[in-house]
Amino acid sequence: MEFLLNSMRKINNDQVKEHAFGTEQSLEERLAICFINPKDFEKLKLVSSLHLKISNKEKDVIVNVEKDDNVPEGTVVMPVSIWSNRLSVVQNNELLYKNIAVKIEATSEPIMKFKEIINELLVKK
Amino acid sequence: MKRFTCSGCSLLCDDIIVQSDGLFISEVMGACLKGKERFDQVSAKNRITSPLIRKDGELKEVSWDEATKKAIEIIKNSSIPLLYGFSNVSCEAQDVGIKLAQKINGFIDSNASICQGKILNKAKSLGINLTTITEIINKGDLIILWGANPAETVPRLLNKVLFSRGKFRMTGREIKTLVIVDPIKTASFRVMGVRDLPLIIEPNKDIDLIRMLKEECCSVDSIPSQGVAGIDKNDLKRLLLHLTGAENGVIILGQGVIQPHPDYNLVEELLELLQMINERQEKGRISLLLMGGHFNMAGFDHVALSSFGVSGKLEFKHNQLIKTDDTLVSKIEKENFDSSIIVGTDPISHLPHSLSSKIAKKPLILIDNHHTATSHIAEVVLPTAITGIESGGLAYRLDQVPIELNKIINPSNNLPSDEELLNQLYRLINQGGSE
Repeated sequence: MEFLLNSMRKINNDQVKEHAFGTEQSLEERLAICFINPKDFEKLKLVSSLHLKISNKEKDVIVNVEKDDNVPEGTVVMPVSIWSNRLSVVQNNELLYKNIAVKIEATSEPIMKFKEIINELLVKK
Repeated sequence: MKRFTCSGCSLLCDDIIVQSDGLFISEVMGACLKGKERFDQVSAKNRITSPLIRKDGELKEVSWDEATKKAIEIIKNSSIPLLYGFSNVSCEAQDVGIKLAQKINGFIDSNASICQGKILNKAKSLGINLTTITEIINKGDLIILWGANPAETVPRLLNKVLFSRGKFRMTGREIKTLVIVDPIKTASFRVMGVRDLPLIIEPNKDIDLIRMLKEECCSVDSIPSQGVAGIDKNDLKRLLLHLTGAENGVIILGQGVIQPHPDYNLVEELLELLQMINERQEKGRISLLLMGGHFNMAGFDHVALSSFGVSGKLEFKHNQLIKTDDTLVSKIEKENFDSSIIVGTDPISHLPHSLSSKIAKKPLILIDNHHTATSHIAEVVLPTAITGIESGGLAYRLDQVPIELNKIINPSNNLPSDEELLNQLYRLINQGGSE
């Protein structure tokens, strides 16, 4: 399904806080996450054991998913993080963090680990 | 117990009570969640207290001498270094950062260039009034949050500007109207009262609302009956009446507004709307407040302006400032740099993967006080004291007001301040690499 991705700062899903006071597990639980409208949750036939694969022309990422009434239908919200920024876009020399066209699908694959992303970057050195 | 200024965010609250013996902080009163976290970071588990160098793929603790030598080696082997960050350090450190960039013929820019700096420069060129927190507290009667969610980013902003009682008005919150324009019902909506105006706009439709407001600026008679961008006609009427009737209105802009679009420039159109309203207003005006995140996001532009007469990015060749069309984004995208010096920020997390992967490919020197995703990629990590707690200096608040930050305790492991460390690198470069 086609969605619009918005990344935003959320005080309870804050990467600075998790790096400082959390664990790698809590970092992944709180930051490798997206929020969608409960109606979309049903449309995607999601259950709590499933994750969401979000992709665009840049990359893809697999994250946890939670229902949130405050998110409009057709939109997916992610806290600003190394996970959300796999999908943010450079457009006309500027950075696009909001209203990014993405495809989303339910998946049983595990979420992307912090170390996986870092190792992917280190390999490029 | 003494009063200190908090460096937890760009609001720089100057009413934080701290109990300390100069070595440890035992109590912090009056700080918000972000402020409290800032003070707790002194002893956070990801604190870096010794210099690190990457050896055999792993970061290893080394002496200061070895770490600075490695950093100088990277700088000397680099012909087009990129210096980036500088919004979580003092203005004094920003100033030394610019001098270092000049010395090593680098390109230097701050986080502001991909955040609020873009709006500031456009607002300046259009002559839009920027306002201060004090002005809003004392005189404000209309506060519009457009694409901004201060409840989660600058937590005490609304306490200060919305719930305060000003000097020049008999009443406070009762006469202040809050309007929020956002596609998502953020935490900031929770403070809204019955006379406030929540406007949930359809995603990506801000431009339709702005253009309608520009057309209908003088009249509320021809608003389309079906509303605009998912906002109904009556709410639009109320919005127009507020915009044209406010005596001292302010629009607080957040990241939501500064997103690029191939067909139009949202910020420019919004600023034109402000200009139009202000020209037609008889008794009042609408001003602008920009909401940055990092505590000294506004500072870099002021320092660059005072040093070189240019706000924002600076590029040097033959130790002279040159004119450049490059931006931070274009530099990284075209890989027009061969090393980076990152100061007090985490680009590996906050830039799009297409850019962070290019930063990761080149040697990276990180100057910061905490492990982040960027420290996992760095070749050299040089730790520093936390500004506003372990070292002092000047910072510019989000409303461009300069505020002095004071040292409260001695830094862990006698860490240098960002300014001291950058000065040391500058001296070492000057002396040819050894001290």
